[in-house]
Amino acid sequence: MDRTQLLLGLSIALFALGLLGLIIRRNALVMLMCMELMLNGVNLSLVTFSERYADAGGAVLVFLVFIVATAEIALAIPIVLLLVRHTRSMDIGRYTDLKG
Amino acid sequence: MGVLALGSAALMLVLRQPMRVALALITTMMALGGIYGLLGVHFIAAFQVLIYVGAVMVFIVYVIMLMELREAEGNRRFSGWRVPGLVVFALLVLVLVVSVWSGGTGSLPPAASAPFSLTQFSAEFLSRYWLVFELTSVFLVAAIVAALAVIKVSRRVDG
Amino acid sequence: MISLPHTLAAIVLLPLMGFLLNGVFATALGGHRFGNRLAAIVGCGFPIAAFVLTVNALLTLQAGGYAPLIEPLYRWATIGDSTFDVTFYFDRLSAIMTLVVTGVGSVIHVYSTGYMHDDKSHGRFFAYLNLFLFFMLLLVLGRSMLVLFVGWEGVGLASYLLIGFWFDDLANARAGKKAFVTNRIGDAGFLLGMFLLYRACGTLDMDTINAVFMGLAGSVPVVSASLVGLLLFIGATGKSAQIPLFVWLPDAMAGPTPVSALIHAATMVTAGVYLVVRMSGIYMHAPEASQVMAIVGVATAFLAATIALVQTDIKKVLAYSTVSQLGFMFLALGVGAYGVAIFHVVTHAFFKACLFLGAGSVIHALGGEQDIRKMGGLRTRIPITFWTFVIATAAIAGIPGLAGFFSKDEILWYAFASSRGGSPWLWGVAAVTALMTAFYMFRLLWLTFLGPSRMDHAVEHHVHESPLSMTGVLMLLALLSAVGGYFSIPHFLEAQVPLPAIVAEREHYERTLLVVSIVLAFSGLALAALMFGGSAERPERVKRALLPLHRLLSAKFYVDELYERLLARPLVWMSEQVLLRGSDRFMLDGMLNGMAALALRSAGLLGRLQTGSLHLYSLFVMAGIVGALVWSWRHG
Repeated sequence: MDRTQLLLGLSIALFALGLLGLIIRRNALVMLMCMELMLNGVNLSLVTFSERYADAGGAVLVFLVFIVATAEIALAIPIVLLLVRHTRSMDIGRYTDLKG
Repeated sequence: MGVLALGSAALMLVLRQPMRVALALITTMMALGGIYGLLGVHFIAAFQVLIYVGAVMVFIVYVIMLMELREAEGNRRFSGWRVPGLVVFALLVLVLVVSVWSGGTGSLPPAASAPFSLTQFSAEFLSRYWLVFELTSVFLVAAIVAALAVIKVSRRVDG
Repeated sequence: MISLPHTLAAIVLLPLMGFLLNGVFATALGGHRFGNRLAAIVGCGFPIAAFVLTVNALLTLQAGGYAPLIEPLYRWATIGDSTFDVTFYFDRLSAIMTLVVTGVGSVIHVYSTGYMHDDKSHGRFFAYLNLFLFFMLLLVLGRSMLVLFVGWEGVGLASYLLIGFWFDDLANARAGKKAFVTNRIGDAGFLLGMFLLYRACGTLDMDTINAVFMGLAGSVPVVSASLVGLLLFIGATGKSAQIPLFVWLPDAMAGPTPVSALIHAATMVTAGVYLVVRMSGIYMHAPEASQVMAIVGVATAFLAATIALVQTDIKKVLAYSTVSQLGFMFLALGVGAYGVAIFHVVTHAFFKACLFLGAGSVIHALGGEQDIRKMGGLRTRIPITFWTFVIATAAIAGIPGLAGFFSKDEILWYAFASSRGGSPWLWGVAAVTALMTAFYMFRLLWLTFLGPSRMDHAVEHHVHESPLSMTGVLMLLALLSAVGGYFSIPHFLEAQVPLPAIVAEREHYERTLLVVSIVLAFSGLALAALMFGGSAERPERVKRALLPLHRLLSAKFYVDELYERLLARPLVWMSEQVLLRGSDRFMLDGMLNGMAALALRSAGLLGRLQTGSLHLYSLFVMAGIVGALVWSWRHG
């Protein structure tokens, strides 16, 4: 079992854990952080492959992910905070506006 | 390094208070940064720590601190879908692991001989992938505009 | 003799014109624009014109050495390789039939002007009568069985319309319905026979079919002649009221009397006889079918005669008499004497029409009374009616010298001596039937006209002779009944339909049988005179002595009740229980409703997926990834 496989396994684990957290946790902020975790997992696999083949394309994608994640967090948190202020709770289970 | 990353990620799922979850996430990211460094891609590692930990996580921590967001005692920690979630999680891990491990490294193309270097990366970034570069700037502008819009909305909501 | 190019088409279409004109303008449809007089002129004029044209056609035929006149009208249909044309065909047989149809038809139309004078649906009557003539002419002039069948069905329709003419009385409508439905049952056999013929001969033209069966066309048919013969005969039993489909004819007396005379005595009911003679080529090679025909014919004749003995309605006696005489015709057909059967058709048309119209005259004179127990003593009050009735009765009874004698005697002779199925048994039954015929006809005569009057007083006051339009026709028909037998139709037709050979051993019986026939006729007369000429006591005594038999006969052997039990009730039961409840309501409606319910329920179920819960959505994402990966494994 060599380095690539190990790293890929770790990447998979991180991604899956993030997704599981999304399903399991109720707190809105925690769910956001789990999404960050997922992104990190993907980043890891990208870096692994990019380093292995000395391909710049992978690194470019990694940079893209950084940028997108940052912008996303910057906007998602205020939106969640607005929502929280509106319903006075951070519990996702109480938001049922998407129903139907 | 890998164990640390995995462990703190799992911890994330279990902790109750969002502050502690954020701290766990920081740990995970730092561990990843370490991994990147060990791989030899130092600049990516630098960026990971700089941007992710330094900007994103700090932002989250500030928000939690300043808004004093806590979980009330009586709230439920886990959603109603624990059991199915765990089941599918197991399945997913199984499927992914099998698909990755079944081939072995023999099925992948051979590794490159020369290690990855920064100069090579920046040269390619600005020549071959220049479109990406331009698009990111557009994207950042859009993000700023969106942030302004959110401020307006929040001002209106507040009255 | 003028030769017109489309004579036959004109003969057929003239009555149709009459139907259209009268049907539109003389009825409520057109606002009763024609008065009674104009409707009568139109209604009678077209048939008379058709008759004149027929005579002309006959002369043309004669001049051409009796080669058949063939007149194509138009191409009806082309299906694949086969074509179906409407063509008219005129040969000796057609000539005789057409003359009878147009001739007797015309005089009955004239009679109707008097009889239906005060009826409120006067115009409608003439329209329907003309329609009937149109279809009957199609039947006898068509070359292809298809055209004949159109005519066949059409006369059934006209018969239905005319039997139920006074449909305000529900019983009349029911009688019309009974006639039509019974006919249709026979038609099933007819159709099957037609299909077989078409497959075997590739055409429905009757002359070609005959040639094929006679081996003249060189090809041998691949279908059993007996089977086809039987199937066509089944059709004939429906139309010509033989066992088992005769039950509609007595009920058909619900229609006006001219209808009974025209349709149910002279023309429509003889369509079955015409069909068999026309297809004689088949029947000559179908000994089994012919045997069946002879037996059914003679049985029908016997049965109907026994029922006629005890009937008390003047028209019903005549109706059963018609069934009986038709049986005689089929007997003749069954033993191969086709020309003789046609001979009897013609003479029967004369005297039966005269009898029916005479009965109509009596009913008219008595203001609607039809029960012969309430008649009597009319001889001096309505003399013309009486004397014409006498002549016609004598003719049907077979008194020598009159028309009926000649035709009936020929039938009896061939029944005995024909090499194609004649036997002493057939002759015996037929002879007894002839005796009964004479008896019940003279009984009718006596009870209606002679002896002391048994009429109601109110009726008796108004007894009067019928107008000239009616009595004139009666006199004409009586004359024909008297002299019509002298023109030997069998010999006229022999060139076309040969008479069967006589069995050698029986040949010398001819004189004997002739004498026997005469004796039978006079015995019937004598018996009737004996029974009914004296006091009313004698028939009463006889009736009491034979009471059970009398009851059986009066109830017409319970045939109608039998049919009702065996056929009608099970059919109705099945329609209601099985078909209505079972399939229609349960299955069809259930299926449709079930599908709708299914759609509703599944929509409800699927709707529950969209809960708005983000957790659930994420779960689906994960499950989806798993699924996609597994799928990609499977497919490489």
